Amino acid sequence: MTKHCIETFQLTKTYGNKTAVNQLDLAIKTGGIHAFVGSNGAGKSTLFRLLLGVASPTSGSAALLGQDCRNLNTEIRGKVGYVNEEHTLPTWMLVEKVVAMQKHFYQNWDQNIYERVIGYFDVDPKQKVAGLSRGERAGFNLSMALAQSPEILILDEPTLGLDVVAKQSFLEALMFTEIEKDSTIIYCSHQMEEVERVADNLVILEKGRLVNNSAPDEFVERIRSWVVDFDAKPLDKRAIDGLLSAKLIDGQHHIVTLDQTDASFRQKLEKLGAKEVQPMGVTLNSAVNAFLSKNHNVPA
Amino acid sequence: MSDVKAVNINIAPGDTRPIFKQIVDGIRMQIACGNLPVGAKLPSVRGLAMQLTINANTVAKAYTELTNQGLVEARQGLGLFVSQPRQQLNIEEQRKRLGDAVQAFVNDVAYLDFSAEQITEKVSVALNQLATNKENETRNHD
Repeated sequence: MTKHCIETFQLTKTYGNKTAVNQLDLAIKTGGIHAFVGSNGAGKSTLFRLLLGVASPTSGSAALLGQDCRNLNTEIRGKVGYVNEEHTLPTWMLVEKVVAMQKHFYQNWDQNIYERVIGYFDVDPKQKVAGLSRGERAGFNLSMALAQSPEILILDEPTLGLDVVAKQSFLEALMFTEIEKDSTIIYCSHQMEEVERVADNLVILEKGRLVNNSAPDEFVERIRSWVVDFDAKPLDKRAIDGLLSAKLIDGQHHIVTLDQTDASFRQKLEKLGAKEVQPMGVTLNSAVNAFLSKNHNVPA
Repeated sequence: MSDVKAVNINIAPGDTRPIFKQIVDGIRMQIACGNLPVGAKLPSVRGLAMQLTINANTVAKAYTELTNQGLVEARQGLGLFVSQPRQQLNIEEQRKRLGDAVQAFVNDVAYLDFSAEQITEKVSVALNQLATNKENETRNHD
């Protein structure tokens, strides 16, 4: 087994004038659950398409399980599972026919895992795929992806539109089926509460670039939130290092900073004329939110 | 019947503590108030992960922290057990923690309409209760 199951080198993909993935150097360690987070259009889905070889890079390269993504052979393809947010499936087919087809494609197919996971959802084998609800399609898709016993499982917003029970079943199936021991799971989601629960590692993409690749706790440690009283003086934003966001609420400045974790930061604020400096707690949700809002599009 | 002692913790989504810290604090609290007596067996890593629907590595991290703090100990092949209380912190650190706790408590009660006497009375009743619980636990255990 290679140390990194996914590696990209200066990977770039442009669509017309828009750069979806921008000189991305990324290495994902084999094993564990890696959450991919980013604003809409940060390049997550494009990255997955490049990794799976369904789109070709404009420049740079990517490797999946040590093999170049532009010419993945069937053996490698058989080791990769992919569940997208649309849960695209052949609508005209019967559920059991789809299962039979998948079994034929994947030599490591594990029928026990399939039965265990599909049991959480009300899916009849004799039903047409077109008759399944969104949540049922999600469950069906995940059951098949897990049954493939993939070495890499890529999930692109898999819980979007699922009800609370289905979501719970989905997370249980993901974390507590035997599969998680031998697989690397790439989990793309906008639900920070979910990310906090499932992820070993947090990858943040912003405008096609990698901006964080560490454990969620370590990421939250980099973010600090402060309430500062400057005696109603306007805040000199350039004077504050690592400033992510600043809001004036009831005459006090609520500021969020990046990588300003030492005690000297408080002294700096006091030098700038701060009367009172109050550090505040930060949740993963607020940390990611502050981090991404810095460069997020806002109406002009 | 399982010999595992159930752990009563909830993971709060809005909490600023990371999940592993919430588990450490939760279990420490349960040990302190006697719900988890000395010698009690904790749920397995996988068991607690399933109970809380979280990644098993997070539970493992919390258990490591609790072990390092000396609150629980692993018995080879059997699992994790609440250990005999042993003071891990030096006197300086203990003084500091007591100071922090008192400060936080005073902040909480400062705006209430109770006299200092009434408040200290309540606190000593609660502390006596804690001491009695601990004694009972030790006796039951022996």
